[in-house]
Amino acid sequence: MTVLNLLKQEWLKNRRAKAFYKNLTVNIILSLMIFYFAAIFLFIGFNLGSQLEKFNALLGLNPVELFNGAMIYVVLVGIFFRLFMQQLGTINLFAYQMLPVKRSTIVNFLLFKSLVSPLNYLTLLIVIPFALTSVNSYYDGATAFRFVLNTVFIIWFNSLFAAFLKRRFTSGFTSFVLLISIIAAIAAMEYFKLFSLFSVSSALFGFLLHRAWGSLLVLVIPVAAFVLNRWFFARNYYPEYFNRKIEKTQAGTSVNLSFLDRFGSIGDFMALELKLILRHKRTRSLLYMSVFLLFYGLIFYTNKMYTESVGMLFFVAIFMTGFLMFMYGQWVISWDSAYFDGMMTKNITIRHYIKANYNLLVAFNAICFILTTPYFFFGVKIIQMHIAAFLFNTGVNTIILLFFSTYNTKRINLSQGTAFNYQGTTFKNYLVVIPMMFFPMALVGTLSFFLETFVIMVILACIGLTGIIFHKPLITLCVNQFNKRKYVLAQGFRESE
Amino acid sequence: MIQVFNLQKMYNGVNVLDIPELTISQGESFGLVGNNGAGKTTLFRLILDLVEASNGHVEIENQKVARNDRWKAIVGSFLDEGFLIDYLTPEEYFSFVGRLYHKSKGDIAEFMESMQDFFNGEITGTQKLIRDFSKGNQKKIGITAALLGDPKILILDEPFTALDPSTQIRLKRFLNDLQEKTGIAMLISSHDLNHITEVCKRIVVLEKGLVVKDIKTNTETLKELESYFAV
Repeated sequence: MTVLNLLKQEWLKNRRAKAFYKNLTVNIILSLMIFYFAAIFLFIGFNLGSQLEKFNALLGLNPVELFNGAMIYVVLVGIFFRLFMQQLGTINLFAYQMLPVKRSTIVNFLLFKSLVSPLNYLTLLIVIPFALTSVNSYYDGATAFRFVLNTVFIIWFNSLFAAFLKRRFTSGFTSFVLLISIIAAIAAMEYFKLFSLFSVSSALFGFLLHRAWGSLLVLVIPVAAFVLNRWFFARNYYPEYFNRKIEKTQAGTSVNLSFLDRFGSIGDFMALELKLILRHKRTRSLLYMSVFLLFYGLIFYTNKMYTESVGMLFFVAIFMTGFLMFMYGQWVISWDSAYFDGMMTKNITIRHYIKANYNLLVAFNAICFILTTPYFFFGVKIIQMHIAAFLFNTGVNTIILLFFSTYNTKRINLSQGTAFNYQGTTFKNYLVVIPMMFFPMALVGTLSFFLETFVIMVILACIGLTGIIFHKPLITLCVNQFNKRKYVLAQGFRESE
Repeated sequence: MIQVFNLQKMYNGVNVLDIPELTISQGESFGLVGNNGAGKTTLFRLILDLVEASNGHVEIENQKVARNDRWKAIVGSFLDEGFLIDYLTPEEYFSFVGRLYHKSKGDIAEFMESMQDFFNGEITGTQKLIRDFSKGNQKKIGITAALLGDPKILILDEPFTALDPSTQIRLKRFLNDLQEKTGIAMLISSHDLNHITEVCKRIVVLEKGLVVKDIKTNTETLKELESYFAV
């Protein structure tokens, strides 16, 4: 009963948070995203049966047996994604610790909280249609029901187990590496036919599916995960134990950045920003995500649909050679929000400050450009595009970003939350992307009707080069803009949400 | 050294600060007292160009501070935690700030050595980040950083609150010594009438944005202030 009460209070906390209303745009965009994914999932769900049917003749397995075989991978990948996306349940412990609320109630609340998140159950949008069509037609209604029930239990297990891993290995990085190597090892063994987890999985889940009491056995695993979590909390109830762990990770992140000293005050600022990225959860998880972004090009550069449209391809090139700038650059200036007053009163001219931020963005672009050079193997066209996009990003987009960053007057709280944290994000952050990404895409797209790709790339590269050559007056423009907005920024940054 | 001309600050049509004229000269120790909302922090923020004046302006060494960078080289300040980069260790923060004031590694090390007494062994030598320090120790870090650039003007907003008793006494002694030795101009606000009369030779009382008292500190000052604030 108390757990329900706590859940209710949590709901009120979210409803009554200022950010809920202030960030209406972000919420709308997020819900559109969720609807989009829900629609895709439903579509997959209704078509999965007929798609898997094609393998029937090839492997002699019906769609349900195939699904059961893949189940173990679904579980592993599910845990993997949850490690990133699922936010750990937290509670303002001090507010409840002195009230007569039992410890176990609080722990139960923390564990159940993650289970009530509707995002967890998105997978059901695939599973339920599949159960209604395939499982129902191959077997019977009762089996279909058990199929769905088993999936729900597996979702519970995934959610609880991911939470345990996340709590146990605070950084998440250890478990990240561990899991990715386990998945890779299993997939490799499968591929080289050394050991097939697929058939084990198929046999196991098939066995459980066709027994009336099978679901009870499946229920054992979320219960086990639950007990595991309880055991962890029993050992680490007091916050001080968590703190001790945090201190340990600090020593790990205090990497030696003294090589940056050589670059004078610009180097100082780069070292500062690097520390900012490495010492906050929110920015650190973005860094892990950018590893995936590096492989984005593989999807587009190999796809005919994209390679034939020059505009689309350039859009991808702009993104690939500037993803660090797009990810971190949306916070340029506002990432100093917590100590903006201090920055403005220390011995640093505004021009120097803006220049330092500009150089930082240029450095981000240079890193991206170097990291994406392996894509040069996809042909001369890609080489031209990457060079042109890099120059355009460096010459034009950096200035656009700096100029419009003075409109982001919201304090951002970097120490809270992880990858999918939109605190401090407003529609302005999205607005600025339009001139930066879609304008060059539209320009290239239009020009492609009249000119050859090479000529277009030369034009774009020249625009970028012009921006680089005239960076001094352009920075002056940004400095004047910043001076105009300085007091509004300082005022906005002082207000914490 | 600091001159205030016709300074007014309004929020939503309400005048929160109105100072027709105020001059703080070199080597002066200037104390600012007043109840909450009297405009102490607003005055400091106006001097530091962190808010825009509705009317009038502030000059430091005969130059307007607004949208100017010159004064930053000679002013050291600490108002609140918004002056600390809290994800750095104290050492990293000092070296970052020190380099902004063109200090060499040796200078910074020497300066930190001279502050060891003030730190009381609690600040340096750990790998702790500033955000994990207590409020009092964060204040010590902020005050130290404000002094790092050998400023001619030092501005501190309520430096004594959140400090432990020993550190309060140490800070008082430290500020008095500093003033004697370097002739620095100090602007300090405080709610503690005892401390402020011990450190400052001139005390200004603000009430609802207006200067209501401007006195040279003498043996009677504490009594005078106490009777003024008594309800």
